[in-house]
Amino acid sequence: MEFENRTPDEHVNYSTEHPLKEFAWLLGGLMVALVALSFLVGAFAGEVASWLPYRYEAAVAEQVDMQLKGNAPDAPNEPAAPGEPTPAAIRKALDRIAQPLAAHMRLPEGMQIKVHYNNSEMVNAFATLGGNIVIMRGLIEAVPDENTLAMVIAHEIAHAAERHPVKHLGRAVGIGIVLSVVSAEAARTAAATATNLAATGTLLTFSRQQEREADTIGLDALVKQYGHAGGATALFPLLEASHPPEHRARLTILSTHPHAADRVTELNTLVAARGWQADGMRIPLSPTLAALQQRARKR
Amino acid sequence: MEILYFALDYFELVLFLVLLSIGFFVGRILEQKHFKSIRQRERESKNILVFAARFPPNLAQPQDCTLVCGQVVISSDYFKQFVAGLRSLVGGRFRGYESLFDRARREAVLRMKDEARNKGYKMIVNVRFETTSLTGGRQGALPSFEVVAYGTAVRPR
Amino acid sequence: MADILVSNIEIVPGRRVIRHLGLVQGSTVRSKHAGKDILAGLKNIVGGELKAYTELMQEAREEATDRMIQQAASIGANGVLNVRYATTSVTMGAAEILAYGTAVVLE
Repeated sequence: MEFENRTPDEHVNYSTEHPLKEFAWLLGGLMVALVALSFLVGAFAGEVASWLPYRYEAAVAEQVDMQLKGNAPDAPNEPAAPGEPTPAAIRKALDRIAQPLAAHMRLPEGMQIKVHYNNSEMVNAFATLGGNIVIMRGLIEAVPDENTLAMVIAHEIAHAAERHPVKHLGRAVGIGIVLSVVSAEAARTAAATATNLAATGTLLTFSRQQEREADTIGLDALVKQYGHAGGATALFPLLEASHPPEHRARLTILSTHPHAADRVTELNTLVAARGWQADGMRIPLSPTLAALQQRARKR
Repeated sequence: MEILYFALDYFELVLFLVLLSIGFFVGRILEQKHFKSIRQRERESKNILVFAARFPPNLAQPQDCTLVCGQVVISSDYFKQFVAGLRSLVGGRFRGYESLFDRARREAVLRMKDEARNKGYKMIVNVRFETTSLTGGRQGALPSFEVVAYGTAVRPR
Repeated sequence: MADILVSNIEIVPGRRVIRHLGLVQGSTVRSKHAGKDILAGLKNIVGGELKAYTELMQEAREEATDRMIQQAASIGANGVLNVRYATTSVTMGAAEILAYGTAVVLE
């Protein structure tokens, strides 16, 4: 009997492949899976959220209200500069434009459109949870007439009426749940961002489909209220002409509402298709809002 | 300066990335060094024969017997641990751990051979391996394992 | 104690087993002190051998074997055959090691 020890091939039991290759595959694959899952769960949660009765949405809105509170009725009613209209007066003037527009739309049961004014340079307006619409000072200063302002307000009311903010919140919560599987920290960040953006609206981006919906419904209300579609597209060329590209960052309404040119075309097509009057008598801004514009021009 | 602020803001993330790269680079260098040393010592100890057979040859002949044992406690590095965590989500081979156990087992055999040589033996039979996790089921602890090789060293009297 | 033969095979070549005396065992539970635990934790970042724990396990194994041999001696055996080891981790950094075998009287 012979006894000897030979040396077997040692690479049978472990791989000589570079470990980073496996690492990259795993990380990449899981990222892709995570993004896909977030997307699916987010879309699903968004749809589920839109079935939530309005009174729950209003309750959530109460919670995320802190940013809006600054312009709520109990906030100090001081004009931003001497000689300017008070925030309450501006709010009332905006409300007078908004309420008739809202009356032309089908709002969810119990929803009341509440208009807020925000003393901000940004040319922007947004809709958030609970039927709250926020109009920024920069926007009022930029519009040539009431019709143009009415179109923006109608667009935002349409977002609220179609419950886009709550869908968006549902989506964010859904994504947060998916992320919490991976990291508690990431989920916390996602949740904090969701509440924060619901309150500030600046990051509240809707999908292109939702923007198109809001445009269509908003335009419908505008025509019903003013008898023609004048002012519907006035804001876009105005913004692009009056602001050189390097200042575009301030024009949040353009950055959060992409494809301004496409939307102008779509709105014009819609007006033609429905046989609406493309333009007509433009109504000047109410004295309160006009006063605000004049102060801006003087500066 | 901005990099510093970023590092403070994302302290946990930065720490994680630092540990991951230390684990990868240092762990890899150490592993390659260890394999090199294992191969060299395996060549040097080739004259000590190791078998898993239960009995030594030539049972009728009187022989000295003694138990010899080699052991090693190893741990995975941070990088391997992270990759294993990812891997456990999808299943499949834990490549990093395969090389870890291969190192440990061969090291244990080498130590067992050393003991036999020191005691004046040239053959070990009935070699058995035993592998135990020392992590104790504690969550979050980096895994460590003990590998033991033992057998009976024999020589003609 | 030194004259007790320990082996993990079932026979001793060239010698006859006169009497089987049954199972003998030795076991110990050991842990390193916390300082070495922390060092081992640091070593965990780069991986590889944890020397402190290897030492711990080695001492423990020797002690378990010694205890088994003591048991064998106490019943008048001069050999322990078919020895097996078993290790169980108790908590992080502590482990029980068990050595067991058959105590025999050899010719």
